[in-house]
Amino acid sequence: MDAILNSLQLAFPDDEFEPRHVPFDETFITLPANHLHAAVEILVAQFDLHHLSTITGQDTGDAIELLYHFWRGKGLTLRTALPYASLSIATVTDVIVGAAFYEREIMEMLGVTFEGHPEPKPLFLPDDWAGGEPLRKTFVPLAEPESPGKEPVE
Amino acid sequence: MTRMTIPIGPQHPLLKEPLSFLLSVEGERVVDSAMRIGYVHRGIERLCQQRTYIQNIHLLERVCGICSHIHTTTYCQGVEMLLGLEVPLRGLYLRTLLCELERIHSHLLWLGVLTKNIGFDTIFMYAWRDREIVLDIMEDLSGGRVSHAVNLIGGVRIDIDERQVAETGPQLYDLARQVQKLLGVIENEQTFKVRTQKVGFIPPEHVRSYCMVGPVARASGTDVDLRRDAPYAVYDRLDFNVVTHQDGDVWARTLVRMQECVESLRMCHQILDELPAGPTSVRAPRKVPAGEVVSRCEAPRGEVIYYIRSDGTERPARVKVRTPTLTSLMALHEQLRDVNIADVSVVLSGVDLCIACADR
Repeated sequence: MDAILNSLQLAFPDDEFEPRHVPFDETFITLPANHLHAAVEILVAQFDLHHLSTITGQDTGDAIELLYHFWRGKGLTLRTALPYASLSIATVTDVIVGAAFYEREIMEMLGVTFEGHPEPKPLFLPDDWAGGEPLRKTFVPLAEPESPGKEPVE
Repeated sequence: MTRMTIPIGPQHPLLKEPLSFLLSVEGERVVDSAMRIGYVHRGIERLCQQRTYIQNIHLLERVCGICSHIHTTTYCQGVEMLLGLEVPLRGLYLRTLLCELERIHSHLLWLGVLTKNIGFDTIFMYAWRDREIVLDIMEDLSGGRVSHAVNLIGGVRIDIDERQVAETGPQLYDLARQVQKLLGVIENEQTFKVRTQKVGFIPPEHVRSYCMVGPVARASGTDVDLRRDAPYAVYDRLDFNVVTHQDGDVWARTLVRMQECVESLRMCHQILDELPAGPTSVRAPRKVPAGEVVSRCEAPRGEVIYYIRSDGTERPARVKVRTPTLTSLMALHEQLRDVNIADVSVVLSGVDLCIACADR
């Protein structure tokens, strides 16, 4: 893990990674969004860290955060924050093909654009969905249809 | 040759769950395929944020109808870590016992589905009859055949008494005998081998590039198992082998899953023999201190990952679930390329899809 951190620091000398240990053998590091793609390339090419478990997207109230969870014996999570004004990041599907569905999920659930994604279409939500991004804090769920209820028994 | 497009689904002729395919075929050969999921998307991740940690146990148990216990295990161990709770050893042993019983149940169920789809109904009936043994054990332990509601934050709800230990052992031996018989058929029966060998081939490069997990990865020669590589619960105290195979076809996946059943049965015996005395759970506070955790477990189909973030209240700020089926679905179009239409059912059954899991 130290070797990975050193390597990333060498590639991006100006970034503060703030490495943090999170339970179950996971290291979290923070990166600016424009360095993320290059960092993933380094992880795969130099450290053979090719297993991307998933990408978590979350609305923290200040920004949309993306967490790229890698695993090889131990976990490594790359964290990046996207401001609401520019919700766009380069896709990593050109490096890891298996990121395709995770990115599509974040596209529809949080409204983030992954530039260069080969198939930017909805995955879980209906094709004609127009109810907004369900995992945003501002999302208002559709009202439940009123139950017809039972006629009172006399 | 003219190219035709055949829609299959979403009411799927093979699976019990909705999944839609568009197969482009030239004659009898599939040249391309497109897939659409999401028909059973229930918005569980969003619902988790609106419910308390305790309510979420019941919600997350319903992510999957087959491997329900592994989801609550992954979730509970994550929340326990956030709380800094030390779960009593007996509780962890029982949690692991259920995990392994569930693996046997899931693999036998899958063997039934596969053999049914290739027209080998005899094995389908034997496999599902033998699965009843493990369902009976689980019902005796927890009261539920498939949804067990066993996990609590801080341990397990159930305890096991001497009668149950005494009765479960012989039942497991019966099951082991049956699994050996099934293994004999899989290894030797020509009709089965003709339908499954060299079908649905997944090369190790695809396992790597699509980040595939579990028995599918192991049957393609990738030696990965979280129970050994990142042990949780009491797996570091158990003696078991990780089964791998080099062939990467449906036959190899069948062998891997059935041999995993053998290993799981061994683990169940070890758990029953070594079960320590003591309490099975500790009381957990309602509010969870702020923090985040990444929890991984080896479900019957492979790695399940939960990311849980707490903001110090009694409701989680984010629960992210990634189930193993999603990785297999991503690679399906590769497996469906250049197969015969008659083999589509074998390919689809071979990866053990759980659409409800993938959709959440």
